[in-house]
Amino acid sequence: MSSLTWRLSWWLIRAQFMTRRTATALSMLAIALGVSLGYAIHLINDAALADFSQAMKSVQGEPDAVLAPRDSSGHVPLALVDALARDEAVALAVPVIETRVRLDNTATTVRLIGLDAFSAALLMPNLMPRQGGADGGTTSIFEDGVYASPALLARLNTKVGAPQGLPSVAGITATRGEARWTTPIRGDLPAVRDDELLLVADIAWVQAHFGPREGVGEVRLRLAPGVSPAAWIATWSARLPPGLGLRAADDNLARMSNVSRAYRVNLNVLAMVALLTGAFLVFATQLTAVAQRSTQFALLGVLGLPPRMRLAQVLVEGLAIGIPGAAAGLGLGYGLAVLFTRLLGGDLGGGFFAASSPVVVPELAPAAVFFVAGCGASLMGALYPAWLNRIQPLAPALKAGFAQQAPSTLSASRHAKRIALALVALAAVALTRLPAIDDLPLAGYTAIALVLVLGIAAAPAATRLVFGGLERLRLSAPLRIAVQNILQAPLMAQVAASGLIVSFALTVSMVTMVSSFRTALDQWLDDVLPAPMYMRSKGVPLPADMLAELERPQSPFVRVERMATVMLTLDPRRPPVALLVRELDRADPAARLPFTGAVLAAPPGRITAWISEPLQELHGLVPGQTLHLPLLGREVEVFVGGVWRDYARQFGAVVIAAADYRALGGSVAATDLALWPRPGQEDAAGRWMRAQAKHHGIEGVGSGEIRELSLSIFDKSFAVTYALEAAAMLIGLFGLAVTLAASVWLRARELATLSALGFDRAMLGRAIVFEGALIAVIGLALGLACGVAVGAILTHVVNPQAFHWRMPLQVPWAQVLLGAALTLFAGMGASRFAARQATRLPAAQVLASAQ
Amino acid sequence: MLSIAGLSKRHPHAPRPVFSGLGLSVATGEIVALTGESGVGKSTLLNCIAGLEPADAGTIMVGREATDILRLDEAERAALRARSIGFVFQAFHVLPTLSVAQNIAVPLLLSGVAAHDHAARIEALLARVGLAGFGPRWPASLSGGELQRVAIARALVHGPTLILADEPTGNLDPRTADEVLALLLERVREEGASALIVTHSQHVAQCCDRILTLTPDGLE
Ligand SMILES: Nc1ncnc2c1ncn2[C@@H]1O[C@H](COP(=O)(O)OP(=O)(O)OP(=O)(O)O)[C@@H](O)[C@H]1O
Ligand SMILES: [Mg+2]
Repeated sequence: MSSLTWRLSWWLIRAQFMTRRTATALSMLAIALGVSLGYAIHLINDAALADFSQAMKSVQGEPDAVLAPRDSSGHVPLALVDALARDEAVALAVPVIETRVRLDNTATTVRLIGLDAFSAALLMPNLMPRQGGADGGTTSIFEDGVYASPALLARLNTKVGAPQGLPSVAGITATRGEARWTTPIRGDLPAVRDDELLLVADIAWVQAHFGPREGVGEVRLRLAPGVSPAAWIATWSARLPPGLGLRAADDNLARMSNVSRAYRVNLNVLAMVALLTGAFLVFATQLTAVAQRSTQFALLGVLGLPPRMRLAQVLVEGLAIGIPGAAAGLGLGYGLAVLFTRLLGGDLGGGFFAASSPVVVPELAPAAVFFVAGCGASLMGALYPAWLNRIQPLAPALKAGFAQQAPSTLSASRHAKRIALALVALAAVALTRLPAIDDLPLAGYTAIALVLVLGIAAAPAATRLVFGGLERLRLSAPLRIAVQNILQAPLMAQVAASGLIVSFALTVSMVTMVSSFRTALDQWLDDVLPAPMYMRSKGVPLPADMLAELERPQSPFVRVERMATVMLTLDPRRPPVALLVRELDRADPAARLPFTGAVLAAPPGRITAWISEPLQELHGLVPGQTLHLPLLGREVEVFVGGVWRDYARQFGAVVIAAADYRALGGSVAATDLALWPRPGQEDAAGRWMRAQAKHHGIEGVGSGEIRELSLSIFDKSFAVTYALEAAAMLIGLFGLAVTLAASVWLRARELATLSALGFDRAMLGRAIVFEGALIAVIGLALGLACGVAVGAILTHVVNPQAFHWRMPLQVPWAQVLLGAALTLFAGMGASRFAARQATRLPAAQVLASAQ
Repeated sequence: MLSIAGLSKRHPHAPRPVFSGLGLSVATGEIVALTGESGVGKSTLLNCIAGLEPADAGTIMVGREATDILRLDEAERAALRARSIGFVFQAFHVLPTLSVAQNIAVPLLLSGVAAHDHAARIEALLARVGLAGFGPRWPASLSGGELQRVAIARALVHGPTLILADEPTGNLDPRTADEVLALLLERVREEGASALIVTHSQHVAQCCDRILTLTPDGLE
């Protein structure tokens, strides 16, 4: 295009924006929202992962490989540590014992890391301590005692190595189960990040007090220069006993990224939906713009505007909406990312990363990608209107204005359309049968998109079906006009309805999914909380003296069930799976676990494990199969006795009976208790529990509270969907109003003729409101049908594949129908508005503008 | 100049052709009036000449290079219109969202006339159609006669060799019609262009160099 045609193009864009400010601004806003949402998610996640890997490096150093037990209660034998240190390919082998201990002084639990001072200094310089007292300075010699991170010191309110050099050293008492260590704080850890609560001590002291007796927790390895880590890991892995695993450095990050992946993808899909609504608004705006200006474009064509410019102009106008929209979206996204990381941390409130405040760093390439996505969405919206504008024949357009339908040679026959629709429906059904791709429900999302396409494409047929019969009835004049208009101008009706179809479908599906999930969660909480009271201490065994008190005959409880948790690494690149060791009746596990299907009894002599639904989804297991668990330093075969529902642990859990675990040689260090008070002693039991909880800094709550808390967390985390639903419905209504107003405008001549024939303004207004209502009925009916289908895909395909949990489908009909009625009402309001615009014009003016 | 030979045209689904084997030629600088009954095909003929509608057979040579517009593709036809043809319609087809000056500038932009002398050229032309100082105004504020003068200015601004006018005064009252027509003829003669003017008015026809009447059997 030459600079001259650019100038003409710019005049037309400016004129267009000036005459349609609201529609243009809203389209821009929708594009901006889509871009900002996607970009913010990207920035936040990038920042969180960078922050996590930095935190991990600062505590772990940067080993090439880590040798660790696959069972979190296991250890690496000392003989193996020696063998590794003797391997020529190993430059540095650093043994580490890491455990969690409870500090009596603070009623909190912290990480205690035991290090060998000489080797650790090379790999983990950040963990090197500084002596308290006058001489200060970093030392690599550990004294008998612990060194605390700055954050922990602040928490303990202890000053070490004060500037004036006053020795002010306090002691702590660390406990873990029955083990107990009272020791002075010798100094601090100046290089540790200030959000880490941790203690460092010499590995020998940690081992002496908390074990493991015959080994270390893990060995972090730096390989000699020139040794390929992958090859080295492969050779060594073959020689390791089954209870141990070697993982490469990048496995940790991959595992972390995997943790929040499905959640992120879900948010990204929401961002894409926002972008698509942006594309839809651009579509509605540009289609009506093309229709309104068909005479102008025909005139420009007569004056010599090249045909490709008629196409290009509409696309350029789409871009003129997309470019500022996407640019604003980038700015908004950055702002959102900064705001959210400050408020919620790097996991967007998903609870996946520990509390941290990562720094958001914008980079050029991703910003460019999101910018292009925003522009692409608006271009996509402008594509069909541009094509329609291109194919308008000049002479008739000049005489009679916009032709709503493509020339008959171009529009497919009704028969071909039906076949195409049937094929799309079949494809959607087929896609819901496909498994997840790379752990993501991509086929499910595609099926949802197809359902929406199907809904929109079915609008003309549905219109004929519903209103075709109406035409033959005796109707009042306004109603007859409305029906005829819809039947004769299917494209405008389709555009007006499509916004409502998509927005109502999304709303219904969202409400359905949330309601199904909530009902299922409610039921599940009933099943998994049989006891009236629960106590829990995260990561650390419950205090031994407290457990001893429960054993006494005068305890206010009739029944106590203990549970211990061990983390098992089944796949080094996935989050570990929880092994729940529970005191339950092996013959009747269903009394404690909400099974989803049949429960099989194990063949005699075999150990039974009951797996959670997420584990079943992840590993494709069925009851009756054998599962290999890395337990207690060896590979143990267990019989899968059943699958139970679990909404708490997304990455899988296995339950085995405490008796079986003890028989295998394990010891149950309880972290969770279920408590049944003695009848009549409920108050005493409650008092006892609260006192213990306060004293030891652990959780102690009634089942009712857990239930309330869980449901309120659920409601809070889904509250944002209501805002999205409202936004979607507003966009749909806006689309209805815009297209209705535009179609009234297009029919100005016909309306003027009607008023000349004695059809008064009130009747005209009523006809337009009827038309809006009829379109809204079609849109809502199709939207409802699509919404239930999409809701079913979300609950039965997307949720199990992305989050590995299943639930029965439950459509909240009352809520949905009320929503439909409200939308219909609002749709009639929007039509009233369009009608007022149309009937305000005096007939003569209408006639003049129709020329 | 314009020269048509053996032109045949039938609308799709129409029972009989609008015209067949039609011949016509307009010399450079000649102004021809085209009359005929309603529905006989005058507008269709003009549309064919401008390349807005396809014809079934024949040749239509237009412009200094005598290009056959029927052999061109859509883009080439648009380019030819931008270069060599000016159009005036019965209805005042003016772009409502562009100012008067911008409306007149459109053919300059489309025919690629260098931008630096647009303003002066438009101002001079506006003065010659009696609209001096109207450049910045919006079409909605102009009367019918004024709008048709704008259309005339726009048809002439890029120096076309052929002006096609389809009942240019049909929408105006008789007095204004006479004024506007006189202006059109004067400007066309001044530019040395050829013109084909469709009209129902005998008075208008008499002001032209030659009068042709289109009948179902051909031109007379
Ligand atoms: N797109 C079309 N399809 C079918 N027939 C058409 C089409 N356009 C015009 N016609 C027919 O072709 C004939 C010529 O039409 P045209 O508009 O050229 O007449 P006209 O001589 O300009 O009439 P008037 O003086 O009333 O403007 C008419 O009979 C008309 O009905
Ligand atoms: Mg005509």
